[in-house]
Amino acid sequence: MMARRTLKAVLIDLSGTLHIEDTAVPGAQEALARLRQAPVAVKFVTNTTKECKRTLFERLRGLNFDLQQQEIFTSLTAARNLVEQKAVRPLLMVEDSALEDFTGLETSDPNAVVIGLAPDHFNYQTLNKAFQLILDGAPLIAIHKARYYKKKDGLALGPGPFVTGLEYATDTKATVVGKPEKGFFLEALRDLNCSPEEAVMIGDDARDDVGGAQNAGMLGILVKTGKYRPADEGKINPPPHLTCASFPEAVNYILDHLLGSK
Amino acid sequence: MAADSSLEFLKSVKGVILDMCGVLYDSGEGGGRAIHGSVEAVKRLMDSGLMLRFCTNETQNTRERFVQKLRVMGFDISVSHVFSPAPAVVQILQKRHLRPHLLVHDDLIPEFDGVDTSSPNCVVIGDAAEKFSYQNLNEAFRVLIGLEKPVLFSLGRGRYYKETDGLKLDVGVYMKALEYACDVQAEVVGKPSSEFFKTVLNDMNLQPHEVVMVGDDLVNDVGGAQSCGMKGLQVRTGKYRPSDECDPSVRADAYVDDLSAAVDAILTNR
Repeated sequence: MMARRTLKAVLIDLSGTLHIEDTAVPGAQEALARLRQAPVAVKFVTNTTKECKRTLFERLRGLNFDLQQQEIFTSLTAARNLVEQKAVRPLLMVEDSALEDFTGLETSDPNAVVIGLAPDHFNYQTLNKAFQLILDGAPLIAIHKARYYKKKDGLALGPGPFVTGLEYATDTKATVVGKPEKGFFLEALRDLNCSPEEAVMIGDDARDDVGGAQNAGMLGILVKTGKYRPADEGKINPPPHLTCASFPEAVNYILDHLLGSK
Repeated sequence: MAADSSLEFLKSVKGVILDMCGVLYDSGEGGGRAIHGSVEAVKRLMDSGLMLRFCTNETQNTRERFVQKLRVMGFDISVSHVFSPAPAVVQILQKRHLRPHLLVHDDLIPEFDGVDTSSPNCVVIGDAAEKFSYQNLNEAFRVLIGLEKPVLFSLGRGRYYKETDGLKLDVGVYMKALEYACDVQAEVVGKPSSEFFKTVLNDMNLQPHEVVMVGDDLVNDVGGAQSCGMKGLQVRTGKYRPSDECDPSVRADAYVDDLSAAVDAILTNR
């Protein structure tokens, strides 16, 4: 019999878990309110390359979710934290809509490269500039390495191909900061005074949410909403701690089984 | 120069293949300038009775324009003796009945005259430089991802090259980007592909052990030539770096200061 863990924190994915586009998952607001009654910290974690925290926050508030902007932790926040830890001046290859999350950073005379999804910056000239900086020793920080994404008019290249190209040109490896990287989950917990063993992650992406969290030492709960496809739970090893219908069920499980008091 | 026992392998040499950029000339303003002594060195080789061919991964110009550029620098070279990736890929396309989507430099387009590019079923990328925009790369990506079995040809696989205003990303970087995006392996046409070197050997009608390749690029010139059975000399010009001489994976059969010294060695020891 496994010793009961103390649960101190719940990390929750946004898109696909709390809402799908402009619609909340049924019962999700109420479930979040119930979770907040329990003695656990709550954080909202997401991979984003073009939406700043404020945009995400306003969308969730618009859907009547009870949360604070500082409870949101994104791959952009993770990139910013890494830039601050390294005390470097980044060349920011991110879209204008994401720049807000980097305000206050020194970016003149750059000695680091942060690469997100920024089609406007993925031209020959800017990539050459990034290449020369990396060759001179600048660290390459990637928000994530997605191959492509879906747009209304078809598929479009994500940041991954450009990161891979720069890695090849310079014979270096990028530091990837978004999900499913272990560092992402650890960084999300950093100010909660909580170890990974004391946290659970809820998300709709088996590999990026659940697999990543479990790889970092947390429990992972997969919800069958958003991008979930049948048999996704079988795609990761070890399998999710729990697979359930949707966010409200995940909250019920946490309240009933992961928190000591019934 | 006296015969040197370490250069004995040159005894059986009947033909020579020369890389161009970094061996004959350095690229730069106005097309570049000849490397000291290389114009005379090429003449001496031509007069020696040895078979001579040129092999380049140049894809920013048609062969005609490229050879014209070299004539201006003083090199007397005929177009039919120059092997570059574009004509090689055109042959492959015809043999395999493929219709390419082209992401190449505008000045290379004439090499594809007569090639059917309607409803493409493969992608060919070359060093497109400024044309490597997100938009253009995305178009190539969409063609590839829309194919049942994506076929990608890359004209060389270089990481970067040197221009007067600094280092520039080469085609290999964009090849890697598309490989990653579509989960495919590109077919490289040009150096260091063995197929490419074999085409040159066939044209010379010589066996690999009878031919020596002279280049400034350890991996693409020397390594490529060696892996199809030729000897490889590296010159200490162009993109040569002293660290090349202790590279763990490729070892040239000899290192010489420049093309002039390479020709001295070949003519003295054969």
